[in-house]
Amino acid sequence: MKKHTLVVVAVAVALGMSGCSGTSNVAAGGDSVDSVTIGSIHPLSGSLSGVGGLMNAGAKMAVADINEAGGIESLGGATLVLNEGDSQGKAEIGQSEAQRLISEGAVALIGTYQSDVTQNVASVAERAKVPLVIDVAVDDKILEQGYSYSFRIQPDATSMGASGARSLIAMGEATGTEIDTVAYIHIEGAFGGSVFEAFKTEAEATGITVADEITYSGANFSDATTQVTQALASDPDVIVVTGYFPDNLLIAEAVNALKPDIKAVFGIASGAYDDNSFPAAAGEAASNILSANYHYSATSDRVADIRTRFEAANGESMETASMLSYQAVEVIAAALEESGSVDPEVLRDAISALSLTDPLLEFNGPIEFDENGQNINATVVVMQVQDGAVEQVFPTEIATKEAILPAFSR
Amino acid sequence: MLTTERGRIVLGLFAITVLGIAAVYLFGGKDSNLVTQTVVTGLLLGGVYVLVSLGLTLIFGVLGIVNFAQGAMLAMAMYLVYFMVSSAGINPYLAVVLSAPIMFGFGWLVQSTLMNRLITDVGHSRPLLVTLGLSLLISNTLLMIFGGRPLNVPSPYAGSVQILGAIADVPRIIAFVGAVIVAGGLIVILRKSPLGLAIRAVAANGTGASLVGVNVKRIYAMTFGLGAASVGVAGGLLAPFTSLVPSAGDQFTTLAFVIVVLGGLGSVPGALVGGIFIGLLQTVGSLFLPGSGPLLLVFGMFVLVLFLRPQGLFGANK
Amino acid sequence: MTALGVAAPERLADLKRRLPTGARLHFSVLALVLVVMAFLPLVVPESALPVAIRTLVFAIMAVGWNLMSGYGGMFSFGHAAFFGVGAYTNAYLLTAFGVSPWIGMIVGAGLSAGVGVLIAYLCLKYKLAGSYFALATFAFAQMFLLVTLNMEFLNKSEGINIPLLPEESWSMLQFDQGSLYYYWIPLVLLGVAVAVSISFVYSRPGQFAQAIRDDPTAAESLGIKVMKYRLIPVALSCAVTAVAGAFYTQYYLFIGPDQAFGLHVSTDAIIPAVIGGIGTIWGPLIGAAVIGPLSAVVAGFLRDPPPFLEFLYGTSGLDIAIYAILLILIVVFLPKGIYGTIRERRRK
Repeated sequence: MKKHTLVVVAVAVALGMSGCSGTSNVAAGGDSVDSVTIGSIHPLSGSLSGVGGLMNAGAKMAVADINEAGGIESLGGATLVLNEGDSQGKAEIGQSEAQRLISEGAVALIGTYQSDVTQNVASVAERAKVPLVIDVAVDDKILEQGYSYSFRIQPDATSMGASGARSLIAMGEATGTEIDTVAYIHIEGAFGGSVFEAFKTEAEATGITVADEITYSGANFSDATTQVTQALASDPDVIVVTGYFPDNLLIAEAVNALKPDIKAVFGIASGAYDDNSFPAAAGEAASNILSANYHYSATSDRVADIRTRFEAANGESMETASMLSYQAVEVIAAALEESGSVDPEVLRDAISALSLTDPLLEFNGPIEFDENGQNINATVVVMQVQDGAVEQVFPTEIATKEAILPAFSR
Repeated sequence: MLTTERGRIVLGLFAITVLGIAAVYLFGGKDSNLVTQTVVTGLLLGGVYVLVSLGLTLIFGVLGIVNFAQGAMLAMAMYLVYFMVSSAGINPYLAVVLSAPIMFGFGWLVQSTLMNRLITDVGHSRPLLVTLGLSLLISNTLLMIFGGRPLNVPSPYAGSVQILGAIADVPRIIAFVGAVIVAGGLIVILRKSPLGLAIRAVAANGTGASLVGVNVKRIYAMTFGLGAASVGVAGGLLAPFTSLVPSAGDQFTTLAFVIVVLGGLGSVPGALVGGIFIGLLQTVGSLFLPGSGPLLLVFGMFVLVLFLRPQGLFGANK
Repeated sequence: MTALGVAAPERLADLKRRLPTGARLHFSVLALVLVVMAFLPLVVPESALPVAIRTLVFAIMAVGWNLMSGYGGMFSFGHAAFFGVGAYTNAYLLTAFGVSPWIGMIVGAGLSAGVGVLIAYLCLKYKLAGSYFALATFAFAQMFLLVTLNMEFLNKSEGINIPLLPEESWSMLQFDQGSLYYYWIPLVLLGVAVAVSISFVYSRPGQFAQAIRDDPTAAESLGIKVMKYRLIPVALSCAVTAVAGAFYTQYYLFIGPDQAFGLHVSTDAIIPAVIGGIGTIWGPLIGAAVIGPLSAVVAGFLRDPPPFLEFLYGTSGLDIAIYAILLILIVVFLPKGIYGTIRERRRK
């Protein structure tokens, strides 16, 4: 065996697999540890690296804030350490990063932004019995696998579609705007499809007609004029949009160019319309566009403080996704505090039983997870671009500005 | 012109396109304003595709390099324009004129330092891998410098005009006109200039050209440079209506290959006609097929062209 | 388990006693390599295991690609199609009918070989060669991707999840996370793939295929049935690649259109083979061993940089940029690939 070891070591070195062994700090059930490692997985390179980088920075800031405030008290003031993973936007890399982070001693994971990567990471977490707190990832299916170690803070696609429909209807009633027919433009795939289905069910139950459904391929989309013209052919009151940043920006620009006689463009789970860079990117085309989405609480002082410091440190505006990563770290920290244990299985139970008040997002109540791991109080609020800024407009109790509806006067 | 095979092909394709559009008007069951809008949008999208494909038809057609970095080079040109506009505050269309020579230099450098070492290869795998590496290198360098958040280049001529009752975005019209100008410029260079003569000689017969005293490697470097300069213009003209992220060019890479093969390797008029045709096919197709359906149509047609007329519309018969 | 790693190729070697010495030498080296590799997980840190497994998958794909493109001379730029068919066949059969992945793997390999032969037949019939052949295979892979996105029974863009089992199962090819079987099984599969390669290369059809690759006209004039002997390596190549796809789904427990048919899957099959040496038995393996861990090693190095490089920490994109530079340098300066170049130097 010894002879072999030499050969094997040589091969291992040749393969370049040396190093990488992290310092494990898991003292299962122990009360006094120096540090607790949380693993984070986001797309830090590749086409989603922009948002991935912001999310990573949000998580880092949460860790720093908690450490500054004295760490985890019930663990003798143990400090948090964030071990950062890069999924490169690929499911298999996400999986191996998750395994690496766990083997390097992470007691919980956060991530990952993309649904397919999250699927893979969730199965790793499940098998390793390490809790995963999903900051952003929208597919319903992720939590439908019967996994008990996955938790999600944001609302899922179906609930966003349904509550988006309810918000639109309520806003129409509140402002006396008649909304009878809508046309829906969404990105092809599970995300766009399930938001649309849920919207349609909810809207049609209240007598709104979904006159047309137009899908486009996210992989190849550089002009939205055809899709918007097609949507307008059914003479809708409102065009509803679901998709990512570049494509939704194109849709807003096409609507602006066509200047149609509609009452609003209403995004649901749109990657663009409530992003703080959208008003500058779209200019005139952004004006008065509505967006139903989960959102950082624009009425909370704590959030305002975090956002100011984030911008000072990173030179970029802190978007909602980034706030969710911050929130995910807080969830884990609260569970650590609650359980006084760094055993991942005990930690899972603590997360599951958690009721975290004062969430950083505009939710219905404290963060609490149901048996599938979904945050039951997650919801959307409606925002609108007014005077070059994203404002919260509905429900009225969290509004920073009054809604303008009809959004266009033509 | 009509007596040549090429003339017949142009005429045939034109007839197919016109008949196709007419059929959509008459039997498509769509509102005629919608169809007009779609055709206008399709033409303008075609202009974008032409811009992206012109550089590739030189690089792929003359040098035989399956240039995987085409999209990344496009993004690089866009960021170049962004950098000039945001730091020096110059007009983006002036920045295009400046970015073209910079991209020429970049292309020349790539060919003379890297690709020229591989020209003795019979296979295609090594040039392909080098351009793949190059594409990763360019997009990640852009990521390191500019970050991954979407940036934008404001166009000084933002707005739209009416054409036959359809709306057309002014920056896209400029891009379309730019595509035609670049195509015309490349045709003039290839047909009239000594460089063009040398490029055509090398493309037709590298060994023969070197025997009569052409410095083949130098011509290769100039060709890649010329292709990169076209990409430079394309990036600049596309930047005003694109969300600028390091991967912004990637979606065009595959389609550019389709167009270049459709038009015929190395054929500038082929890229022009092919690009517009694909733009129209995709946009009109999206009236009837949801989601990625039109893309499937494009690839299906691509395979048919490969099987039935692999030299492309404008390629010489082999 | 180590016995398993050795048994298959050794038995094969037994069967092929009459083969030329070249093949016997290759089989012996293969046996030795497998034995050594079997001990690898015992010395590398646990966190390197997923990287090692991914590397093995790359290696199987590259061995497959090399059969068609290296020995058959038909440059495939669409091996994602064959990988994806294997992956989806297994995932679909398992989730819809509870079929064992071992059977799914075999069915997938058969199906993929059929699909590959059909595509290659069409391409060859219409006399596509070189870049045109490459682009045609690429277009087919893209079409498979787009069709899958629209297939209800394949879950469209959502992909297929392999359900977690309560306990380990050999018949359903599922083990605890971090189980070394996830390493040894692809190692054995790789061994079989290489054994197939060696047998093919030294067989009559293999010799014919290489003759056709080097000079089709001459081969035809000697009476070799060109089409037949071009399609044999295609079938083998697609089958091997499909096996990699089936194992991929079992290990990652998830397959979606992009994981199966994405462009990067095709390049993942090509890169190791080209880096290592096209048209050599050992090139794909050596290439995979270098390129598979490379990005993880670079990323690991940047996570914990030496003091004088501290300022690089946390620059996203840097690891891939360095990987890209290394890739370019290897390709440019080792014209025959790592193995090919070493072999050439030694001959001189």
